[in-house]
Amino acid sequence: MTAAVRTGMREGFVSCEACGLLSRPVDTEEPGECPRCGAELEFRRRDAIQRAWAFAIAAAICYLPANILPVMRTTTLTGEEPDTILSGVVILYETGTWYLALILLIASVMIPLAKLASLAYLLVTVQRGSVRNNRERTRLYRILEIIGRWSMVDVFVATFVVALIQMQPLMSIAPEPGVLFFSGVVILTIFAAESFDPRLIWDSSQGKQETND
Amino acid sequence: MTENADFTNVPEATPVPKKRSKLPVVWIVPIIAALVSIGIVVQKYLNEGPTIRITFPSAEGIEAEKTLIKYKDVEIGKVTHVNLTDNYTRILVTAKIEKHAEGLLDKDARFWLVKPRVSLSGVSGLGTILSGNYIGFEPGTSRETRRDFRALESPPAITSDRLGREFVLHADTLGSLGLGSPVYYRRLDVGDVISFDLAKDGRSVDIRIFVNAPHDKFVTPNTRFWEASGLDASMGAEGISVRTASVTSLIAGGISFETPSPGPAAEAAPNTPFTLHKDRKTALTPTMKEVRLFVVRFKESMRGLSVGAPVLFLGMPIGEVTDIGLEYTGGVLRPRVEVAIYAYQFEQAFTKETLAVQKTMSREKRTDVLGRMVAEKGLRAQLRTGSLISGQLYVSLDYYPDAPKAKIDVKQDPPEFPAVVGGMAELQTQIQRIVAKLEKMPVEEIGGDVRKTLATLDATLQSATRAMNRVEGETLPEAKKTLEDLRRAVTAVERVLNSTDNVLLGPDAPAQQELREAMQEFTRAARAIRELADYLERNPETLLRGKNKENP
Repeated sequence: MTAAVRTGMREGFVSCEACGLLSRPVDTEEPGECPRCGAELEFRRRDAIQRAWAFAIAAAICYLPANILPVMRTTTLTGEEPDTILSGVVILYETGTWYLALILLIASVMIPLAKLASLAYLLVTVQRGSVRNNRERTRLYRILEIIGRWSMVDVFVATFVVALIQMQPLMSIAPEPGVLFFSGVVILTIFAAESFDPRLIWDSSQGKQETND
Repeated sequence: MTENADFTNVPEATPVPKKRSKLPVVWIVPIIAALVSIGIVVQKYLNEGPTIRITFPSAEGIEAEKTLIKYKDVEIGKVTHVNLTDNYTRILVTAKIEKHAEGLLDKDARFWLVKPRVSLSGVSGLGTILSGNYIGFEPGTSRETRRDFRALESPPAITSDRLGREFVLHADTLGSLGLGSPVYYRRLDVGDVISFDLAKDGRSVDIRIFVNAPHDKFVTPNTRFWEASGLDASMGAEGISVRTASVTSLIAGGISFETPSPGPAAEAAPNTPFTLHKDRKTALTPTMKEVRLFVVRFKESMRGLSVGAPVLFLGMPIGEVTDIGLEYTGGVLRPRVEVAIYAYQFEQAFTKETLAVQKTMSREKRTDVLGRMVAEKGLRAQLRTGSLISGQLYVSLDYYPDAPKAKIDVKQDPPEFPAVVGGMAELQTQIQRIVAKLEKMPVEEIGGDVRKTLATLDATLQSATRAMNRVEGETLPEAKKTLEDLRRAVTAVERVLNSTDNVLLGPDAPAQQELREAMQEFTRAARAIRELADYLERNPETLLRGKNKENP
């Protein structure tokens, strides 16, 4: 780490998140708008940690019913069958398509869980002003942002299936409340990741380095 | 204190750092998430239905988490566990019933396994071939709730959505009946056998039948049920008749019913017990309920009267003889005949108008009709010959206005019906009376009379002889007296002869006969004596030697 890095914030400048233009803020509290693209300027995302925490906790709350409640109900001639995400994994595994089971397990169970865990880790480290593994944490955050939206595929699959498989007497599929909670988890983790400001990782390390200097 | 006081000593207020007291709006999101989750948990908990346990004889086709419990094809629960019972004899099925169906779980609710069944009376549960077996459910009527049930061995034949009524039939044997055997009314399939069981004492069979609405209204307390199973072949004067209800009943057995007397009889209450008769004929024989029993004490012989002989009222059959016996009354044994008069047969003989009038009468009045006819119009029972060839008798009720007054004493049980001596018997008694008169005739006295007459005659003759002698020996003046005597004697003879005549030519025929026979004997004896005298005259030696064989 190089010592005494000059940051825009410390120099009294603010960079536009949309177009990247460095400008002089009107006021430290209310930086104003970007003179080039008109986006609202801010030194750091407002209440980043609080917002991220709130969304993360909400997502965690939703995560339980998303996995316990059935996501869809399959009605066939031989009866009705409600399916949760995990029972879907089990069925896929039992029917021999272990790779599909694995995909479902990773995409629907592990990734949301990993996202929640990562968010919590990032938030805790930032709040504690940790200076270690800054680069790794930043990379983690990037991965979080990228893969977050892919979990939505599950919800799309469920919606498609429900819409397509409506062969009434033979087979039909209906959505169950679990799918709402699951999409809730996905959306809330995206929001949480979005609310988090990765620059905070560096802010604290700057402070630390300053004190260290 | 002066004006230009030094204010430098005045302490400065401590600045309070502006606290960001307001909680960011974003915290609403987790709160909402938490509330929704809690709401769902609470709702799920509240919707949690009761858990019930049902024991089954076998777990055939029952799968945990799969087998449903359905009522009217609506899913009301699901099997959660399948275990053995504690004593390993049955299967204990634990099932979760949905909240909305909780109220259905009353004490006499029934569960049974629905699976494809093929029986003579039909095929059921075909749908389960595709959907898998499920547990059928039928709520009871009790208000008590219950959580432990015992499954039925077979599905109940009736469900609550089937309208109609259940009845119990008592039969000696089950015959060829089975579950689902049809019940016919005028050969229409109107119901079926839903269960059967031995009566508690094991002496009869209780068969429960269900008659579908609206036909159940034809079952009245008066209805007769009989077994319509199989063939009913009978041979009679009109040829051979074969009766069968339907091909199904030939195979699966069946029950028919009929109500003997049509009319606005009240409908039978559900579960009314009836007797299941062997066949139509016995079923339609009236029962004791509508029967009035009477005792008739005839004075004549009962020869030719048998139990079952008809009772005819002015020629209309209204009953039959139920018992014939002897009764010890007043020191003698007398015949006692019990007759039964069937109200419905009686009423059947009425014209419509009479029936209508009769219906308007009060019950007491109606039952007293016979009594009044007996008391006022001289209705009497009489034995009559039904057939001259067989000599069979029947009891006839007829009006005899001249008969001595009598009435039915309803206090007796059974009451006595007054009788008159009837037809053949009357003739018989008349003959008897004549014979009795003949018997009473004083034959001996008549004989004595004859003897006396003869003695008198003798005396008269003697006196006549004397008179003649006197006529001979005495003087004529006495002749007059003698003549008078003679005249007297002659009149006496005349009288004797007359009386003898009476004796001989009177109705006393045997006497006459005997007299004639005696005379003939007498003649024969006289002839024999003459012949003997002639023989002795020619063969005097026979007195010593005996009769020669060569010389008869």
